[in-house]
Amino acid sequence: MSVRAWNLSQVGLLLRAQPAALREWVNPWRTERALFCLAAIALGAGLYGAAMGCWRSGLQALYTGIKLPLVVLLTTLGNGLLNGMLAPLLGLNLSLRQALMTVLLTFTIASILLGAFSPVAAFVVWNTPPLTDATRLAAAEYGLLQLTHVVFIAFAGVTGNLCLAPLLRQWSGHTAVAHKVLLAWLAANLFLGSQIAWVLRPFIWDPARPVEFIGQEYLRGSFYETVFDAARRLLIW
Amino acid sequence: METTFAPFDLRQVPVLLRGELEPIHGWIERWSVGRVCFHVAVICVGAGLFGASVGWWRAPLQAFYTGVKLPLIILLTTLGNALLNGMLAPLLGLNLRFRQVSLAILMSFAIAAVILGAFSPLMLFLEWNAPPMSAGASERLAAHSLILVTQALVIAFAGVAANLRLLQLLRRASDSTAAATKVLFAWLAGNLFLGSQLAWILRPFIGSPALPLQFLRPDALQGNFYEIFLSALKRVLFG
Amino acid sequence: MIDQNLTPPPLPPLPSRSAPAGAPLGSDPAEQVPITGLLTAVEALLRQPRRVMFQLRQPPVRTVLLALLVIAIACSLIYGLVVGTFSGGTQLWAAPVKIAGGLLLAALICLPSLFIFACLSGAEVRLSEVAGFLSGQLALMAVLLIGFAPVAWVFSQSTESVAAMGALHLAFGLIAAYFGLRFLNTAFAHLNARSGSGLKVWMVIFILVLLQMTTALRPIVGTSDDFLPAKKMFFVNHWAECLKK
Repeated sequence: MSVRAWNLSQVGLLLRAQPAALREWVNPWRTERALFCLAAIALGAGLYGAAMGCWRSGLQALYTGIKLPLVVLLTTLGNGLLNGMLAPLLGLNLSLRQALMTVLLTFTIASILLGAFSPVAAFVVWNTPPLTDATRLAAAEYGLLQLTHVVFIAFAGVTGNLCLAPLLRQWSGHTAVAHKVLLAWLAANLFLGSQIAWVLRPFIWDPARPVEFIGQEYLRGSFYETVFDAARRLLIW
Repeated sequence: METTFAPFDLRQVPVLLRGELEPIHGWIERWSVGRVCFHVAVICVGAGLFGASVGWWRAPLQAFYTGVKLPLIILLTTLGNALLNGMLAPLLGLNLRFRQVSLAILMSFAIAAVILGAFSPLMLFLEWNAPPMSAGASERLAAHSLILVTQALVIAFAGVAANLRLLQLLRRASDSTAAATKVLFAWLAGNLFLGSQLAWILRPFIGSPALPLQFLRPDALQGNFYEIFLSALKRVLFG
Repeated sequence: MIDQNLTPPPLPPLPSRSAPAGAPLGSDPAEQVPITGLLTAVEALLRQPRRVMFQLRQPPVRTVLLALLVIAIACSLIYGLVVGTFSGGTQLWAAPVKIAGGLLLAALICLPSLFIFACLSGAEVRLSEVAGFLSGQLALMAVLLIGFAPVAWVFSQSTESVAAMGALHLAFGLIAAYFGLRFLNTAFAHLNARSGSGLKVWMVIFILVLLQMTTALRPIVGTSDDFLPAKKMFFVNHWAECLKK
C-alpha cells in the first residue's frame, strides 16, 4: 500500500489505524509525512484550542489556538529521546526516528479527533452563559466548560493511543511488551505534558489576569507541587 | 578449570571465594610454604585494610593501630589454636594431618579477610558520612555506636561466608557430613574462645571518643572478656 | 495512488532485540560483532545489551570498558549541566562535577563487594569483567538520564522549589538505576552463579550508597557558599529537613 503524504484521504487512513498502513507511515522516515502530522496537529488542536478560548474573548481563542498544539508538539519533542530509549529497553526494537514518528502519529490521530470535535465544543461554548464580571471560578458554567473539554481531550487522547496498540503488538510480537511500551510512553507524555500545560496556562480563563499569552508568574511552581500542596491541605498535614 | 597456580598468583582469590573444591583440596594435599605465605599476606592486606577503615573515624593513627591489630588477632588465633585444632580433627572423625588442618583454617581466614577488605571502601564511606570526632558528645556517641554495629555485621557476614566454605571443604575431605560439621563447630568454638580474649587484650579497635588514643589500654592484661561479660550480665539481670 | 486491495499483507515483526533470554551469550552472530565506537556502544546498550555483555567477556576488555566509562562520564556531565541550570552560577559546573564524580565514586566504593558477591555465588568471572558489567550499568543509567534531561529542564525553569526539583531528579535517578541494575542482573545471569541473592543484597547496598552520595555531595540542587557541606548528615535526615522547609 503506497501513501502520498499530502492527500487528505490520509486522514481516513490514519483514523482507520490499520497496522500495515501505520507501519508504512513510520518506516521509512519521510519528511513530508512528518510535516503532514505537524500540520494536522497544528490545525486540529488549533481549532479545538480556539473553541476553548473563545468563551473568554477572540484574543484568548487565538492564544489557546496556538498554545494547545504547542503543548502537544513540545511534549512530543521533549520526550523524543526518552521515548526512543524506553522502547528498546522494554523490548520493542524501534529506532529513535521510528519512536518519534509513532508518538507523533498518536498525537496526530488525537488532534484530528479534536479538530472534528471543535465545532461541537464551539457549540457548547455558544450555548454557555457568557463570561461577565460577576463570573467566579466556582461558577457552574465554567465548571461545565472545564468538564466538556476534559472529556473531549481525554477521549481523543485515549483513542489516539488505542489506535497505536495493534501496531505495537504486531511489531513486538508480544502483547505484554506492547502494553509496557505504551504505558511507559503514556506516563512520560502525561508527566511532561501536564507541566507544559501548567506553564502555558490559562487555556479557558484566568479571572486574576488580563488576556495574555504567558504570564510571568506562570513560570513559578509546577503542576505537581500544586497537587502535592492541595493534597497536604486536604489531609491537614 | 585450572588447578595449578603459582603460590602468589592472585587468581587463587576468586577460586577461594567460589569455593572450588577440586583446586582447594589439591592445595591442602600439597603443603607449600609459598602458599602459606600467600594466605598470610592476604589476611594482612584484607583484614588490615578493614581495620584501617574502622579506625579511621577516630584518627589516622588509630587507623594504623587497628590495621595492625585486626590481622594480628586472626594470625595469633590461628597459631594459638593450631595444636588444639590439629588434635580435634582426627578425634572427631576427620583424618587430616596437622599441616592440612592449619592450612584449611588459614584459607578460611583468608576468605574472611578478602571479604573484609572488599567492604573497607563501604566502611570508609560510612565514616565519611557520620558525624566526626569534633562533633557534639551525643553525635559522637551515636556515630561510634553505628560504626561498631556495622563493623560487627560485616565481620559476622565475612565469618559466616568463610565458615560455609570451610564446611564444604571438610565435607569433601571426609566421607561423613556429621564428622565435618562436628569438627567445624569444635574449631569455631575454640577460635571464638581464644579470639574473643585476644580481641579484648588488643582493644581498642574503633577508639572510644571518651578515651585517649592508645595502641593498647593500660589495663589490657587485667581481667578477661568473659569476666567482664558475666559481670555485665549479672548487673543486667540482678541490678 | 492508494492500493485498492483491502487485505493488507501480514506485518513482518521488527528484528528481534536479542536471542532468547536463556541462550548463551554470543549464540547470535550479531552479538559477536565488536563494539568499535561510542555511538555503537550506546546503540548496543539500548538495543543489543547481550552484545555488550558478550564483548565484555572477550579479551581485551579494556576497549569496551573505557568506551562505557566515557559514555557514563560524558552523559552524567551533560545531565549535571541541566541540573545546574536550576540554580545557575557556580552550580553550572559544580552540579556536573558532583553528579559524574558521585556516580563514579559510588561505583568504585561498591566494586570490590560486587566482585566478592559474584565469586561467593559461584560465578566464573574475573575482576575486569565485573568492572566491565558495572561500567555498562553506569553507562546505561547515564544515557537514560540524558533522555530525562529535557523533562528535567522544563521543570527546572518553571519552579523555584529546591525540594521539588531534588525529588524529581531523585525519581529520574532511581528509574535510570532500575534499568542499569536490570542490565547488571541479566549479565550476571550468564555467569553460572548458583544463587542470585548476593547480587540482590549488593543492589540494595549500591542504591543506599548512591542515595547517601547525593547528600554527601550536597548541594547539587540549590546554592551554598561551600563546594561540599560542613555538616554530616544521613540522607533520610536531609530529606526530612528539606521537606520541613
